[in-house]
Amino acid sequence: MCEIDDNLNWTEGRDILRNWRESLERRSKDVVEIWETVLMYHIDKLGNEKYLVLEQVCFAALDCYRLPLAEYCVKALMKEFPGSSRVHEYHAMYLEALEMYNEALEVLDSIIKRDETNAAPRKRRVAILKACGHIPEAIKELTEYLKKFMSDQEGWHELCNLYLQEQEYSKAAICIEELILHNPHNHLLHQRYAEIKYSQGGYENMYIAKAYFCQAIKLNPNNIRALYGLLLATNNLALSLKCPVSQKKGTIKLNEWVAGQIEKQYKNKIADKGNDSKYIEGLLAQLQLEG
Amino acid sequence: MTDITFSGRAYAKIILHAAKYPHCAINGLLLGKQNNSNELQIIDVAPLFHICLHVTPMSEVALTMVEQLALNQGLIIAGYYLANENINDTSTDKPAHRGISEKIVEHFNHALIAVVDNKKMTVGMNMNSLKISQYLDGKWKFKDPSSINYEGGANLLEATYHLIRRKEYRNLVDFDNHLDNISLDWQNLKLNEKIDEVLKNYQ
Repeated sequence: MCEIDDNLNWTEGRDILRNWRESLERRSKDVVEIWETVLMYHIDKLGNEKYLVLEQVCFAALDCYRLPLAEYCVKALMKEFPGSSRVHEYHAMYLEALEMYNEALEVLDSIIKRDETNAAPRKRRVAILKACGHIPEAIKELTEYLKKFMSDQEGWHELCNLYLQEQEYSKAAICIEELILHNPHNHLLHQRYAEIKYSQGGYENMYIAKAYFCQAIKLNPNNIRALYGLLLATNNLALSLKCPVSQKKGTIKLNEWVAGQIEKQYKNKIADKGNDSKYIEGLLAQLQLEG
Repeated sequence: MTDITFSGRAYAKIILHAAKYPHCAINGLLLGKQNNSNELQIIDVAPLFHICLHVTPMSEVALTMVEQLALNQGLIIAGYYLANENINDTSTDKPAHRGISEKIVEHFNHALIAVVDNKKMTVGMNMNSLKISQYLDGKWKFKDPSSINYEGGANLLEATYHLIRRKEYRNLVDFDNHLDNISLDWQNLKLNEKIDEVLKNYQ
């Protein structure tokens, strides 16, 4: 992680913020710091970029609960773009930070009324419900939203997390299925699907978990979570009474294979084989099956 | 009635873990030992997760590994710590937390739960942000803050403030970080040294 230089000049500060905007890095604390050390004194030299920076700083200030700074940014943006729904959204977020949720909802509703196709304010409505701790209501709102904006992957992700909070594993799994359809080659999604099925428990789900851990490893042989997951899943399956004799041998073989893979991962990555590998060996000894 | 003591290192690491991921729920394990005289000492902690606390496979792996580590150092897994995602939330009975904490109680029946009170995590770090409950007679009972000893007392808060200001939380490695990159040390041996050094300066 790069440290911020104390002697940063304003053009460097501008370039760093520009970089982060382009690569979608949030780094809120650092953004506020750069603003306060240099950029705030040179804001008028930025030309049209001024407003992009104000937006970025506004968002960062809200993250860091620097309300006066956020207020300053919102006001400056509001003055320049009085009718913009994008700026109104920042205003709504500022109200959220003040925990004035009803007022924030009013602002959001007025934005939605003006432009029904605007997804962002609808998502903020879900965020407000979440902030109030009303998880079932947030789920309801988000499912309504996803009926209209079905291809919003971020939305499906969030819905999955909300269902997991409520321990609705099968519904959470459906959200991941939706995401896998969008990104069939993303190993992390296969891994997460397997983890959900594993958490759900039962022989059938464990069997599905095994298959998805395998797929995740196939897509990325270095996915250590999937390797561990497969180790646990095969272990559970082979020890289960429901496991047919015909499958037992294959499961044990897979278990041995994945144990070897994990060991290999650690041998490759860790130069000094001190303490860590000792615990791995211990873990493998506990979880590995007798062939 | 058991006496509970928290080492400076254990407290500082919990706070650093929460500070590293201010937007996430986090959890971890308390490692300690129980002396004959009914005294429970929390010596160290093992930071676990921040990405997804709701699925179980990786917690199973982590619990097994931490147990081995603890055994090696003559410690036991004596409890669970967490910070919730929502700033106002100090509940400890969310499904994500219940699973692990019940498992710990099965092995150690006077286990503790420490929850970070997000609202007390201020810039100055001038308040102790932990709320502790202990498992007694089949229930989690809230412990009065005055009944818990923190090694270093008021100086501990100052030392923690110093650690946060130095951004030491960037060097804290939890089990999720380790799973993302297994060359990172989830035992935090280097960070432990730094924390001990700072604590010594503030004694």
